[in-house]
Amino acid sequence: MRAGLVIAAVCAASAAHPAGDPARGERVFQYCYSCHSVDAAETATLQGPSLVGIVGRRIAAELGVEYSPALRAFAEKHGRWSEDLLDRYITEPEKVVPQTTMAFPGIEEAGERADLLAFLKTRAR
Amino acid sequence: MRVHPCFLGAAAVLAVLAVPATAQQVQVYQLPPGSYPHDVAPAPDGKVWYAAQKHGAIGIFDPKTGQSREVKLGPKSAPHGVIQGPDGAAWLTDGGQNAIVRFDPKTEAIKVWKLPEDTGYTNLNTAAFDKDGVHWFTGQNGIYGRLDPKSGEVKVFKAPKGRGPYGIASTPDGEVYYVSLAGSFLGKIDRATGETKVIEPPTPNQGARRLWSDSQGRLWVSEWNSGNLSMHDPKDGSWKTWKLPGEKPRTYAVYVDERDLVWTTDWGADAVVSFDPKTEKFASYPMSAKGANVRQILGRPGEVWFPESGTERLMVIRTGETQ
Repeated sequence: MRAGLVIAAVCAASAAHPAGDPARGERVFQYCYSCHSVDAAETATLQGPSLVGIVGRRIAAELGVEYSPALRAFAEKHGRWSEDLLDRYITEPEKVVPQTTMAFPGIEEAGERADLLAFLKTRAR
Repeated sequence: MRVHPCFLGAAAVLAVLAVPATAQQVQVYQLPPGSYPHDVAPAPDGKVWYAAQKHGAIGIFDPKTGQSREVKLGPKSAPHGVIQGPDGAAWLTDGGQNAIVRFDPKTEAIKVWKLPEDTGYTNLNTAAFDKDGVHWFTGQNGIYGRLDPKSGEVKVFKAPKGRGPYGIASTPDGEVYYVSLAGSFLGKIDRATGETKVIEPPTPNQGARRLWSDSQGRLWVSEWNSGNLSMHDPKDGSWKTWKLPGEKPRTYAVYVDERDLVWTTDWGADAVVSFDPKTEKFASYPMSAKGANVRQILGRPGEVWFPESGTERLMVIRTGETQ
């Protein structure tokens, strides 16, 4: 019974987040590359915050980054970037955070998003 | 000076602004939900095009009726920039398709030039034509390139300092310059070899977003990180820099009108800020709402257009006759 529950929970999680491939995700990251870095030693001044450790990180809390009022308000409500929240945000940023200043229309394909998230998880702090 | 235009929604709204030596009017037009006008360009027939980034379309707006419609550009389309080419067509830099797209306003035919397969995703940004009719473009992931509309040949070059190429513009003599946001430089393209000559600005790490040329070929640069407006004169290599008014300006877009008046947008103040090079004075006009997020400016004689990506509105300042 207990094992059955665990299996059900794993299946549910898998359905919500199909297993991504970090290698493919590194290529998907090219969508983000012009404004974001996944290099902890990055020295360039980029317009977006570093994505090192983004999964599970507090929203809009990186030092030295000027977040939009919209994202700051979103942070107060949601706290941290869960995988699910990130997935929804990168699907259609403007829909999840209206008036976000991130000028990115979103990633439509669930597989690409899963790959990207898998890649970002490899870039933990 | 700070003056307030009115706003009414779907229909055009008129407010008269008092600006030194110039009679000006402001109108604001609401676009359909989700259109997200990133860039704007006057069309040859009095209409106005906008890059409807989230709809993957070109928007066609008629100021006479206040109505707009959109034409889809292709699968995965997400256009960033739009300009009018010397052929009277709309030319879009389409990041979603990783392609340059031409829209013929007469036939509404769409032609797509994909970037070479091995280029990868480039985050296409903006484009300009040189004096020979060659189309030059930037990609923020660290490239710039050229498309020869006659042969259809597309060439891509790696930018100095990697990622960052953003605004691009041509001068009255047909030379092409671009700026790098992450690289914080002005670059002149050698149109024969495709090489970039890096011109370092006086302010380090200024974060140049866009640029435009005045009638004398001087290049006006909007600096996001520094909040400055700067001007480079290629004739003598000089630079001049002015800080925009306000507590913490963020200079995003820049455009120079036919009278050599410089127009910028300041995200720090949600305002349009004009600059008169003769008097070196700024004038400020608020956008239609907070978070209007105007990323680009373009105009034609007597009109300066501002796409409000944040509110999905188009704003125009009709500059009228200079007294």
